[in-house]
Amino acid sequence: MEDYFSYTAKLFNPDEASQKPEALKGIRVMDFSHVIFGPIAARLLADYGAEVIKLELPFYGDLWRPATYWGKYWKHSNPIWHNITKNKYFLSVNLQLKESKALIYKMAESADVVIENFAPGTADAWGIGYEKISKINPNIIFLSCSTYGQFGPMRYFPGWDLLAQGASGVLTLNGYPDTDNFYKLPDYVGDFVPGNFASLAVLMALYHRKKTGKGQYIDMAQTEGLMRTLFHYTYYSVTQKAIGRTGNVDPTMVPAAIFKTADDKFLALACATSEQFKNFALAIGRPELSSDPRFADTLERLKPENAKALHEIAVDWIRSQSCADVIRLADDKNFPAAEVADDYMIANEEWRRKRGSVVLFKDDVYGNLVIAGPSAMLSGTPSRTKWLARPLGYHNRLVLKKFLGLSEADIEKLEKKKVIGTFDDRPGLKPPVYYDLSKDPIYNYGKEVGK
Amino acid sequence: MSPKEEVYTRHGGKGGDRGKILAEMMNAEGKPEVLDDILVLDVSSANFAGIVAASLFAEFGAEVIKIEPSEGDPARQITPFGVTVQGVGIPFMFEGRNKRYMTLDIRNRPEDRKTFAKLAKQAAVVIESFAPGEMDGWGIGYRQLAAENPGLIYIALSAYGQYTDKARESAKMPDTDITSQAGSGLPAQMGAPPNEPEPYTWPLRGGMWAGWYISGLSAVLGGTVALIHRQNTGQGQMVDVAGMDAYSSMVGMPATIGFTWEKARPRIGVLDFILYPYGHWKCKDGFVAIAAPRDHDFRALLKVLGLWEQEDDWRYSSDRIPDILEQAIHLHKIIEEKTLLYTGDELVKMALNYSKKSARSKWRGGGVPIVMKLMTPEEAMGNKQWHIRKAFQEVEDKKLGKYTISSNFVKMSESPPRVKWVGSEIGGDNEYIRKKYLND
Repeated sequence: MEDYFSYTAKLFNPDEASQKPEALKGIRVMDFSHVIFGPIAARLLADYGAEVIKLELPFYGDLWRPATYWGKYWKHSNPIWHNITKNKYFLSVNLQLKESKALIYKMAESADVVIENFAPGTADAWGIGYEKISKINPNIIFLSCSTYGQFGPMRYFPGWDLLAQGASGVLTLNGYPDTDNFYKLPDYVGDFVPGNFASLAVLMALYHRKKTGKGQYIDMAQTEGLMRTLFHYTYYSVTQKAIGRTGNVDPTMVPAAIFKTADDKFLALACATSEQFKNFALAIGRPELSSDPRFADTLERLKPENAKALHEIAVDWIRSQSCADVIRLADDKNFPAAEVADDYMIANEEWRRKRGSVVLFKDDVYGNLVIAGPSAMLSGTPSRTKWLARPLGYHNRLVLKKFLGLSEADIEKLEKKKVIGTFDDRPGLKPPVYYDLSKDPIYNYGKEVGK
Repeated sequence: MSPKEEVYTRHGGKGGDRGKILAEMMNAEGKPEVLDDILVLDVSSANFAGIVAASLFAEFGAEVIKIEPSEGDPARQITPFGVTVQGVGIPFMFEGRNKRYMTLDIRNRPEDRKTFAKLAKQAAVVIESFAPGEMDGWGIGYRQLAAENPGLIYIALSAYGQYTDKARESAKMPDTDITSQAGSGLPAQMGAPPNEPEPYTWPLRGGMWAGWYISGLSAVLGGTVALIHRQNTGQGQMVDVAGMDAYSSMVGMPATIGFTWEKARPRIGVLDFILYPYGHWKCKDGFVAIAAPRDHDFRALLKVLGLWEQEDDWRYSSDRIPDILEQAIHLHKIIEEKTLLYTGDELVKMALNYSKKSARSKWRGGGVPIVMKLMTPEEAMGNKQWHIRKAFQEVEDKKLGKYTISSNFVKMSESPPRVKWVGSEIGGDNEYIRKKYLND
């Protein structure tokens, strides 16, 4: 039989991913959401082939368009926003006007999914909530995202990833015991994790609709998404004690921590099982450790006093080794270890590019940008990137002509009434200055463009 | 609607009714389950990403069989400080949702592999975490199982994935949470800024299982996309999740920033790269989280804390992005001097009172500074919000007794996820499974 890794190399070949079928082809999503939590749920659907139409206010747009790390733009766009909103159609309509509502209601007739993350109650007040949309299209799947949920006494409280981390308890866990040194989880992961849960709920609703014909309303609270990932509650209910902060040590395995090496690098090393621990003890030339009564049995080894002793042994050994040597030994002797990867390593490591979990993407408007690939590789219907984020209102013509059957004259009328619009001169909203939109066939969809 | 609830909305009126209607609409009782026709086999070993993925399928109604050798999955002993109830670790209890338990030793016993293959022929989903190629070597990998069952979705979890030369070289490196966190870029972004003492400046591990939970969630998301494709075409496929991708692939920032900045970010402690103020501060009796990042929110916060004289300082009014660290730390301390004067409750009330007036006034520019008392997980359990939303559930294991889990992580009006029972008994469902699937 063919070697396993040559078989899988063909099965997953990233070069062929763009020719494979898309699981969500034909699913149309209206995405009213902004910032990260809602948009990421919509983007995941777009990555698997859904047609996601992102609706934004003309000349204002998503609050997150100009929100860049340390205020650094890339080609007049927000570099991280390309990951959050790729593969979408960008339509810019003014929700306040009657004519816009008419457009939105017409679009809702053929939509499969609606996603919003306004403050609870706002979508209904504006006439674009589940109550209204489900009357137009009874089979709609309507996802409302919020920090505390659509009902309950805290429902109207505004929130961000920070507040969800604070309300679930996650925030207090990242840091050192008996000190005030603790930190929120970085990169708004309190939006991304619940965003993935929200997308999962929509996928389940799509599966259910295919079986029964029924749509439904989904209420995703980001705090509850984070809470699903904490066994700390169960620990407390069983022991009446808190796990608390344990610094760089994972108290569920031993050794398991982030260590400093002889060449002043940082690495994580862990032994989750007796077998891995035996391999580790052999690798460091201390095979007797795996028969030491304090360490031989996993639960015995995890007891705080024994864990501490073993942790110290690991600290001393790793401090005497180079990072590369530890990783090499781990590969050979089968115990888990990994260098602490930073932005630069992740962007540049060759294996990630080959795997497709980091991608150098060639975009028609922006040129080359390194972006993250999917966190799950599917052999049959892979996630893929088709285009990056676009300037505000970039797909106005395409969406209105192709999906709603409007004519150029209709669109010009809407533009005149300021029902639809585009960007102003602010970075994050406008295209790169060197890019000539008048020659772009998608921006000018259905019009003659000079080459 | 209570006065508190009025604070942040200008669309009052039917608010209270809406809450009641929604709570009723989201009641899970008697509702259909999405995956009630789906069989999932979880043979993952010492890997909570696999266990979490299996749990999520089970919460949406799939029949999930956890398959382990008779001594049990080593994951049962992966538990904080070695705490167990009758030998079962806390995380395993937490994830023991709606599952069946069967004993098969597919690593060592060829006849058990045959039994497994028989089950896999009837399954929609297989989840495994052995070394890449190991199941294949035993004759029960994706290739062999899919030949018998073309609709099979085969989810494989590992450190470096199932393909590429790196995956081959490091095939035998097991996947754990902390190595997944480190290898996929989370700890590099967390820790004290460079001017503070070691070890606080070191890269810091996330205090939850960020690696394993992100991998598990990614696996079930990919698996559900595959289920939709299977529903449409009958075709199965393989889903490959690598722990070393988890964090970086989910949030996306590390790859793009590493490329556009051509260097790694420093660690900046409690500060944020985009928003300010956006973090937590010490107060008289604990900590509060404060989010007031938009200009009008920031101005409102200055007023609330009696810091209005700072408003016309050029450093803070228009440029609060902490790219000049000393400046941001300086402002952080100015705010801290004030927050230390009040209790958490007082600060929350001060912000609420301001916001309430602000939301109804055209003069105050709509500034809404958000202040919240920081909660530990234990404190969060007592919050009425989660009681009303049934976010925590007391469950009872036949042998281990009663305990609490967080559940109902999303409310759905037609086919919500739910926890029907918890269990953990090794081989507890052997007979049930043999009768139902193996004609014994």
